[in-house]
Parts: sequence; structure tokens; C-alpha cells
Amino acid sequence: MDKIKIGLPRSIFYYEHEYMWKCFFEKLGFEVITSHQTNQEIIRLGDKHSNDEMCLSMKIYLGHVSSLVNKCDYILVPRIDNYGLTKQTCTNFLSIYDLVKNLFNQKLLHYNIDYKKGETEKCAYFDIGKQLGKRKNEVKDAYDYALIKYYKEEKRRNIIALNKLNSKKLKILLVGHDYNTEDELIGTLIVDYLSKNNCEIIKSHEIPKEMTVNLYDKISKTLYWKQNRENVGSIVYCEDKIDGIILLSAFPCGSDSIVNELVIRRVKAPILNIVIDDLSSFSGFETRLESFLDIIKQKCKR
Amino acid sequence: MNCYLGIDIGSISTKGVIIDDSNNIICSIYLWTEGNPVEAVKKLINNLKENIPPDYNIKGIGTTGSARKLIGLMLDANVVKNEITAHAIGTLSIHPDVRTILEIGGQDSKIILLDRGIVVDYAMNTLCAAGTGAFLSSQAKRLGVAIEEFGTFALKSNNPTKIAARCTVFAESDLVHKAGMGYSKEDIIAGLCKSIVLNYLNNVGKGKKIKGPIVFQGGVSKNKGVVKFFEEILNEEVIVDDNGHLMGALGVAILAKEHKSNKTYFLEMNQINFQTSAIECNKCPNNCDLLKIYKNNDLIETIGSICGKE
Repeated sequence: MDKIKIGLPRSIFYYEHEYMWKCFFEKLGFEVITSHQTNQEIIRLGDKHSNDEMCLSMKIYLGHVSSLVNKCDYILVPRIDNYGLTKQTCTNFLSIYDLVKNLFNQKLLHYNIDYKKGETEKCAYFDIGKQLGKRKNEVKDAYDYALIKYYKEEKRRNIIALNKLNSKKLKILLVGHDYNTEDELIGTLIVDYLSKNNCEIIKSHEIPKEMTVNLYDKISKTLYWKQNRENVGSIVYCEDKIDGIILLSAFPCGSDSIVNELVIRRVKAPILNIVIDDLSSFSGFETRLESFLDIIKQKCKR
Repeated sequence: MNCYLGIDIGSISTKGVIIDDSNNIICSIYLWTEGNPVEAVKKLINNLKENIPPDYNIKGIGTTGSARKLIGLMLDANVVKNEITAHAIGTLSIHPDVRTILEIGGQDSKIILLDRGIVVDYAMNTLCAAGTGAFLSSQAKRLGVAIEEFGTFALKSNNPTKIAARCTVFAESDLVHKAGMGYSKEDIIAGLCKSIVLNYLNNVGKGKKIKGPIVFQGGVSKNKGVVKFFEEILNEEVIVDDNGHLMGALGVAILAKEHKSNKTYFLEMNQINFQTSAIECNKCPNNCDLLKIYKNNDLIETIGSICGKE
């Protein structure tokens, strides 16, 4: 019998949980299928299934789900509400599970996290195991295995990121949600352009969370969203170690539009704010990125 | 003697400047792009060739503006630079102590803030082209006034009509409405100029500290009405140079001088066959729009590919 295939859409929740999910499923003996990196075809599919008020990232997510339909037995669609009282995630993304369930004829795995109601990450993993018909002790083994591997991997990535801060090149902190900065069409274009121009890029989510978690209150004490808190924390942590900051957000991201404005007003380092809403032309960004690098280089000279 | 050519290819107009070793402008030209940068530059080069004194050799070429890459390839330029840096350098060569550059062009507007001779901050209009030259010229047509006379009309008014400044589309319907109510043409034009200024300060200059000396550039700076309202609202003197429209080209010519090569450029445009063709690449799901550039039927560059395939 073939292994049961589990599809992971390569967007929104993917980059944060991907490593642990993969370890978990592989330990339990399932095959993991990840959707292809974002391309125009996926955006077209996403456009077809979304309405006009969704942000670009959500459209891309639906495109990824759509590309996985009928290629796997289950698709994992999380619903992550919060990680505690003051660690809210984007409220728009709460609707994704129901959206996907209504749009596509496909078996889904649900993965609910809501610390306020006592649904922790551990519960979510056990729930998945139950849905797939695995015994409790098997799930526990797989969960422990995945958690240990995840911590190891996280440590390795953190060391790489912190080493980048000592680089002799021009250092740029790319601040944004990981599903934007890691995305093939949104983030990679910018990262490629900057690396071609001899810059070291540090992405905000690469900075270890335990270092950034309490720093955000130097900018604002009342930040509501979990990821924005971490991003702002990474700005505070890196501010005097880097040469410039690029704020990357997708149109129309509500939390970013508030937090980025706050950052622009309260942080002294040179800042470029890039809002992406249509990916067909890169030349506009190129002008902005090029002149931003010119400004930083002139500043460094002085 | 050595000289350097700077070309600024904008959406509406194309500007060319030739400078000598001490940044003096030897000759300059200004013409319409008319949606065809290649033809416009050919015309510009032919024109400059006639005006340049015979004992000058071109030692460097720089390009800037929205078509800078294409023209840079076409002329084999040694410097291709973005508009912001080019404008800043051009302006600094004339006003070394400038703190703020306001620029309103045909389809975009920018603000550049400088401190002790270097750019510290800038902003460009991002999502909408409200309050730029293209808007003014379409409204001039609607009102039946030549765009060149817009400023003089605006200065005649003592009581500018209030026109919504947030969005071009609403400004236009507001304008039609006010005209229907019977406001005089002078008042409406003055109101329009004022709305351009307010729009610019709200959208582009949002949150920026505008300090003097202020230099105002771009096609719209030739409009005296807009200049007057800038001075009124900012409460500072606003400098407009006669050569204000040439600053981008001048800046990139200076950059070409700083990066000069030993090569001598000849302005022989007519012999070179220069062609572009746009195709959609279907080799992967990205379906990039590729622009292929041919010089004398040889492919010299492909622009627009995400994955790097040609």
C-alpha cells in the first residue's frame, strides 16, 4: 500500500512550522508533499478563488492549496488564533480553514492553536495524530522526536543569522512576515537584487525569538500582534549593528500598515518601506532599492 | 577637450545635457518622449551632434529616468543611475546647501531630503499618480487653457476655489461641479494649483520635515501658480531654476565624468539598427514578459526574466 500523502501549502503558516511538521509526519510514516514555489500560475489560481479584499499573501495561499488538490490525501490547513493573551495572530487568517473547506472538495487536516482556550501546540499535534488514526504513544514519540529536531535546527539557523551580523558587507535587515520575505516572488526578488549588489541580508524572523521577545516595548508597549512584536523586537536588537532596514509588506496588510508607520517614526536607522500589491513589474522596486543603497553607502562614507 | 553626456529619459520628456570638466553646461536639449524612448534619444543625439563644438570629445555617457536601462544599453553608457541620486547630484552642483528638493514630473513626484550634501531620505508617490503633470495637462485641455498659461491664470485670482485634494478622480469631479456653479476660470485654475500642492504635501511629503533652502523641479515647477502656493503653504522661499528640468541629466553627466573611461564615444546613431521585441516566455509557469534588445540584429540583452533564462 502506498504511503498516505499529506500536502503542505507553501505559504502563510508554512515557513514557521514546516521543519517540525515534516519531522513529525515522516516519523509517523506519512509522505509529505509541498506545493511548488510561488509562480504566476499559482497567483492566477489564487486570484480565481479569492475575493478582492484579501491580501496578496492570502491569495497566494489559496493558489497553493488549489495546486495541491487531488495530488494528496490530506491537506494540512491550520487555524492559529493566538499564543496567549497578548500574542494574537492575524485575524484574517482565522478564516482560512473554513474558506478552504468551502472552496475545495478535499479532505483536510485541522491544526488548531488557541492558548486562551487551552488548545496548545502539543494538543494540535495529538489531534492530527488522532485524525490520521495513530495510537497515542506513537504520536507522542513522533512529537518528541520532531520537537528535539526542531530545536536543533532552530539553533543552527540562529547561529548562521547572528554570524551574518558580523559581516563586513553592507548589512540590511529585511523586516516582514516570514511568508512574505521567504516567498519566491515577493521576498526572493528583493533578496536576489540586494545580494547581487554585495549586501548581507538578515531576515527579521531569523533573529532568535528569545532575544527579540521582550525588546519590542522600546518602540511601543502596546503591540498586539505576535509576529509584529517579534519583527519590532528584531529591529531594536539589530538597530546599531546594521546599515539599513527594509520594511516589506503585502497590500493591504492591516497590522503592517500600523506598525510600519510606527517604526518609521521611532527608529533612527535609514528605512525603506516597500508595499507589494502587484508583481508584474519589478522596475519600480529597483529604482527604490538602488537609491536606498546609494543613500546608505554615502552615509557609510561619511 | 573632454566633455560628458547625460540623458534623462522620462515618461513625458527626454532631456540631454553635455558638460565640460568643470560642470558647465555646453549645450542641452529638451524634447517629448512620445512613448518611444529609442526614437526620442535618436532625435536627441542627432540634435546634439549639430550643436556640439567640433573640438570636444565625449568621454562618458550616463543615463537616468524610467528608460535608463534600455538607453544605457543602446548607447553603451558607462553610468546608469536612478533618478533620485541623479537629481540630488545635479542639484547639489548648483545649490550646494540645498536641504529639500521637491520634484513633480509627468507621472511621478518625489521629495528628496538632504543634509550636508548627502541624501538622507526620499519618498516617491507609490500607488497613484494624483497631482502630477499629466493630471494638470488633462485639466488644462478640459478648461480650454494652454498648459503654459496655467500659471499666469492662477496668479490673477485672489480667491482660489477649494478643490478636493485627496484624489485626482475626485478633484476632477469637484472641478466640473465648481465650473457648473459658475466660478471664474481664474479661481478654478488657482484652486487646482493649490490642490496639487496640498496633494503633494499630503501624499509624498507626508511626515517629512521640509527645511529650507528648498528647490522645486520637474515640469510642473514651470507653473508659477504652483510655486506661489508652495511658498504660501510652506512659508519658505522656493527656488526654481531656469535649468530645473535638466537637473537629472546634469547629475548623471557629472556621474559619468566621475566614472570616466578612456573610451571616446561617437554620436553615430543612424548607422546602428536598434530593435526591441517583447515576448511572453512559456518555458515555466511564471510566464515572464521578456524584452529582447537587438543591436544590429545581435541579441545584446534580455530584460524581465525572473529565473534568468533567456
